[in-house]
Amino acid sequence: MQRRNVLKLALTAPLLASRRAWSQSKTITLWYPAGDITAGAAHFSDKSFFAPYEAKAGVKVEAVGLDYDTMQQKIFAAAAAKNAGDILFIDGSWIPGFLKEEMLDSVPDARAKAWLDAVSPEIRTLSDYGKGRMWGYPQYGIDIYGLTWNKDHFKEAGLDPEKPPRTWDEFRDYAKKLTKRDAQGNITRVGYAIRHVGHPHGIVHKHFWAIYGSGASLVDDPLALRGGKANFNNDGGRAALKLVLDMLDVDKSTSLNFPDPRAALLKGLASMQISETVSIHERAPKEAPDLKWGLSATPVRKAGDKPITLLGSWMYAVPKIAKNREAAWQLLEWINTPEQDFDLCKKYGATPRYKVNWEKEPFKSNPYDQALKQIYPYGKPLPVNLGLNGVMDAMGGAIQKTWHHEAKLEEALAEAERAANKAIADAAK
Amino acid sequence: MPAIRRLVLRLHARHVWHAYLFVAPIIILFGAFRVAPSVQTLLYSVYRVELLRGRFTFIGLDNFRELLVDRAFQQAAWNTLVYVLVIVPVSAALGLLLAVLFDTRFPLRELFKALYFAPMVTSTVAAAVVWWWLYNPQFGLFNALLRLVGLPIQPWLMSSRTALFSIILFSVWKGVGYNMIVYLAGLQAIPESFIEAARIDGAGAFQRFRRITLPLLAPTTAFLLIYNSIQAFQVFDQVFVLTSGGPAGSTNVVVLDLYRQAFERYNFGYASAEATLLFVLTLGVTVVQYAYSKRFEVSY
Repeated sequence: MQRRNVLKLALTAPLLASRRAWSQSKTITLWYPAGDITAGAAHFSDKSFFAPYEAKAGVKVEAVGLDYDTMQQKIFAAAAAKNAGDILFIDGSWIPGFLKEEMLDSVPDARAKAWLDAVSPEIRTLSDYGKGRMWGYPQYGIDIYGLTWNKDHFKEAGLDPEKPPRTWDEFRDYAKKLTKRDAQGNITRVGYAIRHVGHPHGIVHKHFWAIYGSGASLVDDPLALRGGKANFNNDGGRAALKLVLDMLDVDKSTSLNFPDPRAALLKGLASMQISETVSIHERAPKEAPDLKWGLSATPVRKAGDKPITLLGSWMYAVPKIAKNREAAWQLLEWINTPEQDFDLCKKYGATPRYKVNWEKEPFKSNPYDQALKQIYPYGKPLPVNLGLNGVMDAMGGAIQKTWHHEAKLEEALAEAERAANKAIADAAK
Repeated sequence: MPAIRRLVLRLHARHVWHAYLFVAPIIILFGAFRVAPSVQTLLYSVYRVELLRGRFTFIGLDNFRELLVDRAFQQAAWNTLVYVLVIVPVSAALGLLLAVLFDTRFPLRELFKALYFAPMVTSTVAAAVVWWWLYNPQFGLFNALLRLVGLPIQPWLMSSRTALFSIILFSVWKGVGYNMIVYLAGLQAIPESFIEAARIDGAGAFQRFRRITLPLLAPTTAFLLIYNSIQAFQVFDQVFVLTSGGPAGSTNVVVLDLYRQAFERYNFGYASAEATLLFVLTLGVTVVQYAYSKRFEVSY
């Protein structure tokens, strides 16, 4: 009898111990895009990132890297199976799609108000989804699209390397002067590199500055979740697409043979490009250590206009079906305190979010941070419309069709407008 | 009752139960992972599906009606059709040509055979990434070769005029080895006596090939046409990796379009309707091909 009891104890003790251990260390999972997709995501693989919180709260944080290209789909499939991560670190442009499915938990009103009051204007713009409603926190080191150029190429072409083009006319003129050809007349270096292949969203992102800068926009009301109309089949939209079309056909200062603008700039195959500034800042030291590059706001349609450029960020969000929803929000509160914002930005060389931190060193006098700060006021985020995916697909298609001479500019925009309006209407159902 | 008992005993005596037991795992797995999702897709095609909210609204044939006027789908369907119409005969013809070459003895034959077959066993995604670089207008091998022989360089994947052709070229390279091996097996199964008899009757090499070999290969050809068609209708990986359907939708295909509808726009009902249409089309083509190939059945 006694032997049987000992046996019972021996069998149940490990089970009880593991159960106790399991209940003590709750695991919060955070899903993020693996690889070089965004500098901020790479910080999660740094063990010291969550260590202070794990020690303080007695929880374990498990960062799970997902393939970026299929991450949105994986999150959706996981959410349908009620098995998604507790925290999702996602591209801000995915939020409308997730909101369409009512997938995300909102930030409590009081907390949202405190955040919006304390952060800098560009972070406020990115956080506020209308009337102070927040669906997550933008990560530090937000991304703004800017014009970057090769200073040596400028010098070589007789241009002032410290003076970027300010207007579209200047921009075209500079691009012509910077373009190089071989003996057969083939372009070996473009004055301006364009993104025209790949996912339509990426194409729209990189031409956003011209679309918005010319007075057009993707939808008429950027803060309306449902309804509204596409707003690019107009004079502004036509001008934006024609700008590059003329550079392709008339000036021959750009080419369809240089599809990755950032890589083209870094490899010396392009003299100017417009994309995420943070990307060039991160990649240049590794891929083009000798590159001397400049950074400025995007050119404007005519002198006196205000530049408009794409402002985006990666967001921390919590799905409604998160198994540890409360713990997830607590962790996010910790990551997004002013103190953590300062420490993490200082450690990883990113730009902070809190107004108070911009007043401190090293951000106060860092030339790159300050250059970004000059461009931030011109930043505009993507609309929050639930049909945004369809609108972007439509606009991306119109850009491609025009530049690839698949359709006349007016026809391409008219077709895109129909498709975008249908996507908006479908999403609003 | 005694009749049922007798039936049970007879089945037991013939080990029918054991047989069912042995095939049960594959039947269950096939049912769970193939049949059930297919039936579910068929059902979803007549619903508006909001998966996360668990809301399913019956809308009859609305998804199909929308599909018929959806320009993106029309273009995807057209591109898929062009892809199928080119790749199926070209892969089979090249496979046959190579099989005939490899049916004769020459040094290093096995090595070359393996080289031609290698793309078939390579991951499509990995191979597509390599080809993406080969197609690169600036640094790619193809343009380097064109420059070498003084021909104008091509934009390959970068132009809507050449992108679909470039994908077809990749797919032919990927699939020709399989066609070759199947044809080779078909060639080697033809009794030598048939060829010998034709030779004695004075038939030349081309006549022997046209009058004896080709007709006797009809079942192999029928199999390859059906197999290639089914594969071609489902093309996805190489398009996803090489062009994502662009430029300007010029390489968008039905499976990519339905993937986007489902997982980027969350229109699962609409995507299911696309999948159903594709299934019906594939089934139709397969049935026609199969019925037609029956006319050329041979036995030897």
